[in-house]
Amino acid sequence: MAIALRRSAYSTNIKTRADFSCAFFDRQLQPVAQAFTQPVHLGSLTEFVPRVVREYGPENLEPGDAILSNHPYLGGVHLNDITLISPVYHGASRSVCPDNSERNGAKNTEEHREQTLELFGYVANLAHHVDVGGGAPASIGAFREVYQEGIIIPPVKLVRRGEIVQDIFRLVLGQIRSKHETAGDFRAQIAANNTGVRRLNALLERMGAHKVALNVDELLAYTERRTRADLANLPKGTFAADGYVDNDGFTDEPVRLAAKMVIDDNGVLFDLTGSDPQRRAPVNSTYAQTYSACAYVLKSLLDPDIPVNAGFYRLVRIVAPPGTVVNCTSPSPVVGGWETQVRLSDILLKAIAPILPDSIPAGTKAMMAQVGFGAAHPRTGELYAFYETLAGGYGGRVSSDGPDAVQCHGQNTENAPIEETEVNYPVRINRYELVEDSDGAGKHRGGLGLRRDYFFDHEASFTILSDRDRWGPHGLFGGLPGKVANYMLNPDSDTVELGSKVTVQLKPGDVVSFRTCGGGGYGPPEDRDPQLVLRDVRDGKVSPARARKIYGVSIDTDTWTAEKADTSSQQTNSAAK
Amino acid sequence: MTSRYRLGVDIGGTFTDAILINEGTGEIHVGKVPSTPQDPARGFMDAAHRMLREADISPDEVRLVVHGTTVATNAVIEGKVARTGFITTDGFRDLLEIQRQIRPSLYDLQFEKPRPLVPRRLCFGVPERLDAHGNILTPLDENAVTQAAERLRKDGVEAIAVCFLHAYVNPIHETRAGKILSEIVPNAVVSLSSDVAPEFREYFRASTTVINVCIRPIVAQYLQRIETQLVNEGLNAALLVMQSSGGVFTFSAASKKPVFMVESGPAAGVIAATHLGTALGYEDVISFDMGGTTAKAGLIESGTPRITKEYEVGATARSGLGANAGGGYPIRTPVIDLVEIGAGGGSIAWVDSGGVLRVGPQSAGADPGPACYEKGGAAPTITDANLVLGRLNPSYFLGGEIKLNIDAAWRAIEETCAKPLGMEVVNAAHGIVEIANAAMVNALRLVSVQRGYDPREFVLMAFGGAGPLHANRLADEIEARAVIIPISPGTTSAMGLLVTDLKHECTKTLIQRVDQLDLMELEKTFESLTETGRKTLEREGMAQEDISFDRKVDMRYVGQSYELTVTLSEGQGECTPSPLCESEIRRALEAFNLAHDRAYGYNAPDEPVELVNLRLTAVGHITKPRQRELDGRDPDIGKAHKAIRSVYFAEKNGYVDCPIYNRYRLGAGVVLIGPAIVEEIDSTTVIHPGYQAEMDKYGNLILTKF
Repeated sequence: MAIALRRSAYSTNIKTRADFSCAFFDRQLQPVAQAFTQPVHLGSLTEFVPRVVREYGPENLEPGDAILSNHPYLGGVHLNDITLISPVYHGASRSVCPDNSERNGAKNTEEHREQTLELFGYVANLAHHVDVGGGAPASIGAFREVYQEGIIIPPVKLVRRGEIVQDIFRLVLGQIRSKHETAGDFRAQIAANNTGVRRLNALLERMGAHKVALNVDELLAYTERRTRADLANLPKGTFAADGYVDNDGFTDEPVRLAAKMVIDDNGVLFDLTGSDPQRRAPVNSTYAQTYSACAYVLKSLLDPDIPVNAGFYRLVRIVAPPGTVVNCTSPSPVVGGWETQVRLSDILLKAIAPILPDSIPAGTKAMMAQVGFGAAHPRTGELYAFYETLAGGYGGRVSSDGPDAVQCHGQNTENAPIEETEVNYPVRINRYELVEDSDGAGKHRGGLGLRRDYFFDHEASFTILSDRDRWGPHGLFGGLPGKVANYMLNPDSDTVELGSKVTVQLKPGDVVSFRTCGGGGYGPPEDRDPQLVLRDVRDGKVSPARARKIYGVSIDTDTWTAEKADTSSQQTNSAAK
Repeated sequence: MTSRYRLGVDIGGTFTDAILINEGTGEIHVGKVPSTPQDPARGFMDAAHRMLREADISPDEVRLVVHGTTVATNAVIEGKVARTGFITTDGFRDLLEIQRQIRPSLYDLQFEKPRPLVPRRLCFGVPERLDAHGNILTPLDENAVTQAAERLRKDGVEAIAVCFLHAYVNPIHETRAGKILSEIVPNAVVSLSSDVAPEFREYFRASTTVINVCIRPIVAQYLQRIETQLVNEGLNAALLVMQSSGGVFTFSAASKKPVFMVESGPAAGVIAATHLGTALGYEDVISFDMGGTTAKAGLIESGTPRITKEYEVGATARSGLGANAGGGYPIRTPVIDLVEIGAGGGSIAWVDSGGVLRVGPQSAGADPGPACYEKGGAAPTITDANLVLGRLNPSYFLGGEIKLNIDAAWRAIEETCAKPLGMEVVNAAHGIVEIANAAMVNALRLVSVQRGYDPREFVLMAFGGAGPLHANRLADEIEARAVIIPISPGTTSAMGLLVTDLKHECTKTLIQRVDQLDLMELEKTFESLTETGRKTLEREGMAQEDISFDRKVDMRYVGQSYELTVTLSEGQGECTPSPLCESEIRRALEAFNLAHDRAYGYNAPDEPVELVNLRLTAVGHITKPRQRELDGRDPDIGKAHKAIRSVYFAEKNGYVDCPIYNRYRLGAGVVLIGPAIVEEIDSTTVIHPGYQAEMDKYGNLILTKF
C-alpha cells in the first residue's frame, strides 16, 4: 500500500517527502498493522478511522466503496491530512478502481462473491495534500477559525462500488488550488487502498478468514505482552514538566503546555491538565494530534522491535481536557496544532530526563518549520502550491552530539531535492546550508540548524508556520539552549524580520530566508573534549571566538591546535590530522 | 589444440570462491580458499593458483578472468576511503551534511546520520549557477575554483568530487572546473557528477559521485596489484570485474567508475540463475540464495534480472522503501534488485519478551558456528534445527569435513527454546525452521508481489549451501511452478561470474513531454550515448559484430516523481528517421501504462506522460560456456540409494523413514518421490511429501508437485 501510494503520487510532499501513512483495522476497528514513516501519524489513523466508520455506519459500506474525510473534530488532525477508508470483504476481491485488473484470486465469479460476502476489516491511508483551499496557498497560515483553513470533508463516499463519485470529486477539487496534482494524489490514494484490499484478499483466500482472524487476535495479545514486559523496565512514578510554544500567531503570549507522565504497571497515563485554554489562533492540537505526541514518547522508550497496533495502544491513556490547546473544540483553527504537539513530545521527554539521563536527548528542534507558497505560474498562468518542512538541530545525548539538520520526534519528512523543486515549480533555492554557531553548547553539543533561501521572480504568497524565534531548545544537565530560529525577508538588503507564523506577499526579486534553530546541549560546555571543539572549528561549524568564550578552548588556526583556556587544567592538545 | 579456460574468483567475507571452466568441454573445477581481508589480492592469487593446479593447466591457457569483489563496499563501510574534497555550487556546501534530513530509525533517540564521507572543511561552494533548463544564470567563477583547488592540494586530498546544481542538463561548468582541478591538484583523481550519474536530484547525484571518487584510489590500486601479479605469472587474460547490475567491465573501466561495482558479489548469483534458467527454458525465475548468515531473493523476468536504481551503500535493510531509508549512502547506479534478510544456517533462535519464538537476525556465523559444530557456540541455530529434524546428515556435512553433534543441537534447542515455551524439542525445532521459512517466504513475496509480479508464474531457483534445504517448503507457500536445484548449489553463485556480458550503462536526463517530443533531439542524444558506449567497448577489444545496444527510457505521468523504466526498441540499435521512432515511442508508452498498472495497481492512459532519463546499455557479447550433459539417461535409483534415515515432516505428523540419495550417482531421468533427501558435498536437498524431483540431462533437480 505504502509503496503504491508513494510512487504513484504527484505532489512532492507525498512522493518525495513521504508525508503519508497506511493502516489495516480489524472488523472491530482495532488497528492491526500500520505502515508509516512519520510518527505524527501514530494516532492519526488510530483515532480517526473508528470514529469516521461509526459516524458513517459500517452497514452503509459495500465492497468497492471508499470513504473520504479530513474532519478535525471527528478524530482528525489538520485539514491537509485527508484519509481514505475502504472496507475489506472476504470473498469479494472487487477492487475500488474501475480500470484495475484482478490478478490475485480472480477465479471467483461475481455471483459467487455476492454469496460469500463477509466484512473482515478496513484498510485506510492518510496523505498530506499540498493544498486544501483556505486562506493561503498550501493551506497553512494564521486564521481565527477552522473554516478559514480550507475545505472540511465530512465522511463521504469518494468511491462507490468501484467507481469514483464524480460529483464529490469535482466538489472537493473545486476548493483546491493545485487541481492537477491533487487529482493525481487522490488516484494514488485509491490505488493504495486497492493494493491493500487485494493483498488482504489473497491472504484470506490462502489461509481462510477464521485463521487470519485468530492470528490477528494473537498478534494484538502478543504486542500487549511485549509492551507490558518492556514497561516493567521503566521507572515507576509521576514525572512532570512544562514548557511553551513561543506565541500563537496573533498575540505574543506564550502558549503553556503542562505535561505529566504517570508510569505504573497498567501502562502510561499522560495527564495534560493545566495546559492553556484553546486560542483563536492556529496553535490548537486536536485530540488525535496530542495522542500521537504521547504515543511517540512511549514508543521511543520501549524496544523499537515492538509492533504498533491495538495491543500497544491499550497501554496508553491520555487526559486532555476539552477546550484546551491539547484537545481543542470546534471551530478552533488547527493548522498549527503540529507546533503544539511536537513541542509536547519534547516537554514529555524533558519530564523524564532526570530519571533516564542516559536515554533522553536535550531539547530538539521540536517545531514543524513549515513552508508554504504559491501563485499563478508566471509562464502558464496555472495556480500552483508548494509545501515542505525543514530540519533543525537535534539535542545532545549522554555520549554523542546531537546530529545537525535532521527531523525530530513525530516528524521525519525528507527534504525536497532542489533540482526537483526547480524543475516542477517556478522558484529558485539560493542557499541550503547549516547555520554556523547555532548549536546549544554542551559537553555534547546540540546539532546545527539549517538555512534555506527562496527566490521568486514573480508575485507570490509565502507562509511560514513555525516557532522557536524566541526561545531555543532547552539544554540538559548544564548544557545551553540551541540558537533561536530566524525568519527574514531579503536577508542581503533592506532586511525585514518576519514572525514565525506569517503570510507575506512577495514582489518579483524577493528572497525569504528561513533559518531553523539549533539543538540544546547536554552537559556543561566546559567539559567538552577540546579535540571535538577543534574539529568543529576546523569544519567551520563553531567559530574560534565562540570556542573560546563558550567552550573555554582557544584554537590556533595556523597550527590547528587546541588549548584549554581554563588555567586550572592547562593542557595543549596537538591537532588531529 | 590447447583448451581455453575461464577463471572466476569471488571474494567474500570468509571465503574466496573460485571456478574454472573449460570453454570447449564445459568441464568445471571449483574451490574455496580462506579470504585474506588485509590483502585481498593475496586471496585472489591463492584461489587462482589452486584452480590452475587442480586443472593442471598453464597460466597462458586462461583467456578470461572475471572477478567479484566486495573491496568497493568494504572501503565505504569501513571508512577506508581516500581523503576526498567536494566542490559544489556556492550556497550548497552542506549537501553531504544535511543529506535527506531524516533519521534512519524513527524511535531511536540515540540515532546517528551516516557520517559524511567528506569532512566539511574539505567541502567548497564556488559561485556558478544554472537554471533547470541548463541556462547559465551565474558564470563559473574560475578564481574561486582555483582557490578551492589550492586549499585541497595543501590539505593533501587524493580525490575530488564535483557536483554543480543542474549539471545533469549542462555539464559545461563541471567540465571546466574538472580541468582546473586536475591542473592544480595533479595527484588527485577527479569525478564529475555529469559523468558518473547525470540524473537530477542533487544529493543522490552528489553522493554517487563522492562514493565513486573516494574509492577510486583504493580500487584502482587493488586491481592494479592483481593485474601485475597475473601478468608476471604469465596469465595474459582479459581481466573483468562483475558490476552491481550483473554485467562485467574491464579492470581499467572499473578503476575509473568503481561505484558501478559496489554490489559486485551478490549480483553473480542472480546472473547464474538467469543464465541457467534461460538455458533450461525458464525465463521467469525467482532466485533464492541462502548461505550461512543471510538469504537473498532476486527476480528475473523474461530472462532479465530486475534492476533497482535506489540503493544505499552501508544501509541495513534492503527492501526498498522503509524505516531504514537514510541509513547509508545512496547511489544512483543500476543494482540488481535483491531482498536480503538475516536468515542463514547460522541464524540464532531465541524467545522474545512476549513469549514468542524468533529466528535471527543474530547469527552464529562460521565461528563459533551452530551448537552442533561444538566449537563453543551454545545458541541454537537453523542448522541445529535441521539436524534435529533429521534433514542434515551429521557425518556428511560439507562432505564430512565438519562432524555435527546432534545431542548438542538437541540440548541447545531444549534449553533456549523448548523449555521456556513448554514445548517438545522436536516441535521447537520444527518451529525454528518454519519461522525462518516464513521470513524467507516474506522475502520472496517482497521481491515479487510487492513489485507487481505473481510468484505463481515463476520457478524458484535455489542455491547456496542452505537454499535447497528450504526451497521445497518455500515454493509450496508461494505456489511457484517448480523448484530448480542446480548441481553443486554451493558454487552456483560463482558460476554467475562466467556467464555474463560486458556492459556499459550510459544515461542522460532529458525531461520532455511525450506528446511534445523533439524526436531529433532524442535521436541525437541516444546516438551520442551509443557512440560513447561503442567506443568504450571497442577500447575493451570487442569486435563490431559482438556489440549491441539496448535503449530504455524512464517515464512518468507529468507531475509524478518516480519513474518507471521501459524499453524503447528491441535492441536493434539504430533508430532511423521519425516515423519509426514515433511508433517506438507509442509502444514504449503502452509498455509504461502496463508497467504502471503492474507496479501500482492502476494507470491513467489519458494523462500526459514525460520522458525523464534516457538509458543506453552497450553490450559486448561474450560466448557462454556450454553446459555439460550427464552421460546418457540412467533412471536406475538403486545405486544412488545411501540409507534410510528418520526425518521429521509435518505433513506426516512426525518422523518417517526417508530414503537418502547420493546426488553424484543419480542419472539423468531419475524421478524421486518425496519424502526423500538428496545429499551432495556442499548442500542437501529436501523433497517433501507430495512433491517429486526429476534429474534433467544436465544434472539439475527439478521439483514439482504431483
